[in-house]
Amino acid sequence: MFEYEAIRPRYETSPEVEKIVQAVSVCYQCGTCSGSCPVAPAGGMDYTPRTIMRLIQAGMEDQVLSSQTVWTCAACYSCAVRCPRGIDITDVMVRLRNLALIRGFPAETEVARKGRIYNVDFMRIVRRFGRIYELELVLRYHLKTNPFNLLGMAPVGLKMFLKHKLRLLPDPVDDRAEVKGMFYRLESDQARKGRKE
Amino acid sequence: MKYAYFPGCSQESTAEEYNRSLQAVARRLEAMELLEIPDWNCCGATPAAAIVNPMLPHSLAARNLSIAKEMGMDQIVAPCAACYKNMRKASHDLNHHAELRAQAKGALANRELDRVPEVRHPLDVIVNDVGLDNIPVEKPLRGLKIACYYGCLLTRPAGGFDDPEYPTAMDELMERLGAEPVFWPYKTKCCGGGIYMFHENVSFNMSADVLVYAKAAGANAVAVACPFCQLLLDLYQDKLAQIRDTTFDMPIIFFTQLMGLAMGLDRADLGLEKLVVSPFPLLARTVEAEGEEEEKAKARPAKLKKWGEA
Repeated sequence: MFEYEAIRPRYETSPEVEKIVQAVSVCYQCGTCSGSCPVAPAGGMDYTPRTIMRLIQAGMEDQVLSSQTVWTCAACYSCAVRCPRGIDITDVMVRLRNLALIRGFPAETEVARKGRIYNVDFMRIVRRFGRIYELELVLRYHLKTNPFNLLGMAPVGLKMFLKHKLRLLPDPVDDRAEVKGMFYRLESDQARKGRKE
Repeated sequence: MKYAYFPGCSQESTAEEYNRSLQAVARRLEAMELLEIPDWNCCGATPAAAIVNPMLPHSLAARNLSIAKEMGMDQIVAPCAACYKNMRKASHDLNHHAELRAQAKGALANRELDRVPEVRHPLDVIVNDVGLDNIPVEKPLRGLKIACYYGCLLTRPAGGFDDPEYPTAMDELMERLGAEPVFWPYKTKCCGGGIYMFHENVSFNMSADVLVYAKAAGANAVAVACPFCQLLLDLYQDKLAQIRDTTFDMPIIFFTQLMGLAMGLDRADLGLEKLVVSPFPLLARTVEAEGEEEEKAKARPAKLKKWGEA
């Protein structure tokens, strides 16, 4: 009787979690997603997409939300297009990423930690300017991860500068207040959801 | 026809030549008039969906869609593949799901979001609205063997203007321009652009594969429709060659630049000089020296290939 305990779904439920669990429940583990994934065979994932689907079905929350896979999915939709069960796997990965952030899961690998920094900073810049400002993104990212990498980026930066492909100053939207307001409302909405969970 | 134009962030920095050449092509094709959406904002690219709130990409897109609607437009053209995918998805969802529309309205206080415009890619507009026969080809691109690289987001998720696994729109366009599209299996493989900042080695491996296959298919140039694919394959080409211990010397050219060349547009409007791997030696060898090349080919008997030789 007790040996079944291990595979009983353990997710704390919330509408967001239910959406994911429901979408994945129809997966029959054919592995088409892992076979189509360009990132997994290149060595970018700790669990393949098929394994993630299985871990979700088994309710192994910690493994899923702290995995590197949720951050290194390139969102190319190869799996989603081919899934014979019609699961939008890319969408599931994105929702997992969001959940990992809300619940404050520690990113266990170096790459997952970096992925999180990059993604969060990207949206911070968009929140402020309404558009992306690549130079600040790259500087912020390298200063937070490994400032010495900036030296390695110098030749590429110079090449881009010479080809006039580098924006030196940000080019913000005129109505920055509207964009900020949108972010603010979505953030407070999310905080409300977070409290409910 | 008039279209609202959403350039996107990269069109003003890393892919400025894409913007410039698309506008030049549109000016020439009278059937395609582009009017820029005033004060547009970022589409959120890949990170948006995971940060803050799953509604963020829809809300960011909804602001642009609503401004375009105020302009009185019912179609938007977005040249960047990531913007195109995000905005196409948002437009579809906002028009089909009342609940999502209400949520986006809530996030965007005071914005009209009923029946938002449809979002299209310039390739779709050129092939399906303008029509291949209506493209004035003055200097056919003879001698160019082109690997058409659609990338992942141009045709995915399914339901867009072309097949999600084996699209052909760009190949047809290249054929019309007088170039020879090659058959290759990497048309819609992902270049790894979305993860290259924090997982460089993996994304470089993914991009290197694209070039290896393009070269193996006999292509001498790659045509792209996404600023990020272009950046990775072009700017980092020497690194990619190092990884695979080979040389590529493969110009990565936006399809709009190739159109401009074939239509005989002013070179200054095409931004070819901004490509890191210069296309000029290749163009001099093929398109521009077309007569000599044919004579040489006639004078030299075709070399027989050995069995198994690529």
